[in-house]
Amino acid sequence: MVTLLINAIKRLQVSTLLPIRTYVSVNPQSIPLDNSLVVTKKEWKFPPAYTKPREVWIENLDTLEEKKLGLFELHPSVYATTPRIDIIHRNVVWQRKYRWVSWAHTKTRAEVRGGGKKPWPQKGLGRARHGSIRSPLFRGGGVAHGPRSGKTHFFMLPFHLRIQGLTSTLSTKLAQDDLHIVKDLELPSDEPDFLLDLIESRNWGPSVLIVDDSDLAPRNITAAADAIAHVNIMPVYGLNVYSMLKHDTLILTLSAAAKIEERILQHLHSITTDKEASFKLNQV
Amino acid sequence: MGSRQVIEKSLTLLRSLPRVSLNNIRDNPGSKRTQKRGRAQHGGDKHGCGNKGSGQRQNFMRIGYETGTNPFYLRVPQEHYYKGHHYRRQYPPLSLRILQEMIDTDRVDVTAPIDIASIVKTGLYNFFPDQKHFGINLTDEGADTFEAKINIEVQWASELVIAAIEKKGGVISTAYYDPHSLFLLKNPKIFFESGQAIPRRMIPPQDAIEYYTSAENRGYLADPDQISQARIKLAQKYGYQLPIIENDSDYNILSERKDPRQIFYGLEPGWVINLKDECILKPKDEELLRFYSL
Amino acid sequence: MSAGVRHNVSFETNNIVLIALVAIRSIRYSKWRRCCVHGARLRGFLLEKINFLTSQYSSFAKSPFVDKITEQYNYEITKNPTEWKFVERLMPFKTIPQVVPKESYPSGWIPPKEEARKLPYFIPRTKNYAIPIYLQLSFKGNRKITQLKKIEGDIWLMNDDIKHLLKTKHKRYVETRVHEVARFIEIKGDYVNDMKEWAFSKGF
Repeated sequence: MVTLLINAIKRLQVSTLLPIRTYVSVNPQSIPLDNSLVVTKKEWKFPPAYTKPREVWIENLDTLEEKKLGLFELHPSVYATTPRIDIIHRNVVWQRKYRWVSWAHTKTRAEVRGGGKKPWPQKGLGRARHGSIRSPLFRGGGVAHGPRSGKTHFFMLPFHLRIQGLTSTLSTKLAQDDLHIVKDLELPSDEPDFLLDLIESRNWGPSVLIVDDSDLAPRNITAAADAIAHVNIMPVYGLNVYSMLKHDTLILTLSAAAKIEERILQHLHSITTDKEASFKLNQV
Repeated sequence: MGSRQVIEKSLTLLRSLPRVSLNNIRDNPGSKRTQKRGRAQHGGDKHGCGNKGSGQRQNFMRIGYETGTNPFYLRVPQEHYYKGHHYRRQYPPLSLRILQEMIDTDRVDVTAPIDIASIVKTGLYNFFPDQKHFGINLTDEGADTFEAKINIEVQWASELVIAAIEKKGGVISTAYYDPHSLFLLKNPKIFFESGQAIPRRMIPPQDAIEYYTSAENRGYLADPDQISQARIKLAQKYGYQLPIIENDSDYNILSERKDPRQIFYGLEPGWVINLKDECILKPKDEELLRFYSL
Repeated sequence: MSAGVRHNVSFETNNIVLIALVAIRSIRYSKWRRCCVHGARLRGFLLEKINFLTSQYSSFAKSPFVDKITEQYNYEITKNPTEWKFVERLMPFKTIPQVVPKESYPSGWIPPKEEARKLPYFIPRTKNYAIPIYLQLSFKGNRKITQLKKIEGDIWLMNDDIKHLLKTKHKRYVETRVHEVARFIEIKGDYVNDMKEWAFSKGF
């Protein structure tokens, strides 16, 4: 009887309310009254199977107060996957380590100056037997298993883990309201103060990462971001987990969001045997 | 749908947690084990080397030495059952069942002749020419439910497989490719990008000539008349009506064959493929034409 | 000296090099250090010759770049769509081709159904259009675990349904493990065929 009741409740899908953080800025003035919203309905190459696609506002950078220019759909396989914090961590560790060269260096007993001669005869003195005064046992001697200069820590994280790291981070940013889609990067002036005021008024985190599809950004935003250390512009091919976590807010242009989605979906639906194989330098 | 949806649940959970940042992420507990240095009673002291002897002094005896007794590797005589097995040619198997699945899921184009390049392109079959793999061995698993009419070229096929394919009105042939050609077929893109001219395929070695010149195996060097006779014989043996290929609408596809010196369909030896400009460079010099002549 | 490589070196030079090599090797290390200056000059000159003869062209680091190609051959550049079609056929897939619906699939491959999307839970196909139900074997094949991966929707409801189904079928309680973050259900035992049958019947 009790189990029947429990099962019935489960099927009713009554959810326990979790304390939800709501600081989404729903400013009534920002939504245009004249139904000029651009609702981009996409033709998916790989349509979402079950999980619903996410709809996000297309915002502007022209004015201090935000205007919602339209709605944009994002694919759930890229922007709404289960956030795997452990995979995000592994990506961050990989990004930190694969380029790092450790320059710590110690001398071995062969490299320490001196120590070629046997310090005292083998037998007869009552002292311990030694061959060189620079053995690791001696004060001032060489180090036995010490660090050796120029040690590289290069390794490649498996391809699917790198893709999953990107999708997890993008999903996390979107879920925590730190992802904003912007129509283009046209600012009215190149004053860094304008950009700082804009970030302040929109409640974006102090550090902002702006991602665009092209290598070149408009002059105003480039000049403004150049003066601010914690606001950075990046092309789509530079997108990485570390940068996304380092900056509080992630701003994507429409074309950048579409490009990221298209590239990641292509990798998720292609034959990746070559990419999953162990990394080898291609030699002629 | 609320928090019963497993993905929505985790994403909704994140909304009430602090911002995921570089300072509050970690790996799964138990995924990393710290290396324990050998110190004190366990792992330390003699560090697993025992007392005195060649072991502790790191001056080990040769492998197999049994401190004077007649060692195992000298005591037991050699039995040359598999002598030279690692020199033999190997043909990694591909079953007719998997081939049918490739056709059903549109990985392999039935409207064109199928060769080893199109099968490797599907991603479901792989072989390694540097490990003495000489091509596809089409096996008979799934011969009963095979339903496709195809023109396929493999490197090894048994009688039952040939019968299964010919029963459905298809054409099967066995052809030899030398290891260099196999590397080209496995990854044509990398080869074309290297800018080299397509080489000629080599003729089979002595011990393979018999296989590839026999009509029973549908060898590519066999007499076509003998192959027709062998087809009739096989139909009688396995008890099916041999379809007449000449009357088939797909006759052009089914009768397409490569020249014995040709590696790729439609591309001749000597040609250089330019992928960037989408053009083909063909030699006009007499010396080259004589060298690459089919 | 190096097999299979022709060098345009005269017979005399060969002899000098051979003698020099033997000479160098016979000088002991301590003596070598004393006649270092003289030896270095001699050694440098001879090393040049030795290196020329023993350079490994098969090594990436030591093989020189190709330049001054003297051979010039006549060739023509053609742009023929019929021939280019053969080249395009050899290029790898950019994405795995989507399956065109057919009346029957002789291989036994079962396509997913549209009605499955309305269920409270869902198992999407893998990128190769297979169903993500696997058997994990460990401990010399004694431990069998059936794993259903990539689950979306109400995972707990699916867990209840599976347990109920297997209990009625096998008249035995079946232990399962639900992992919400990684979105899989593990069943203790080999129920892969049962689960695949159930999944195909649901239309996943």
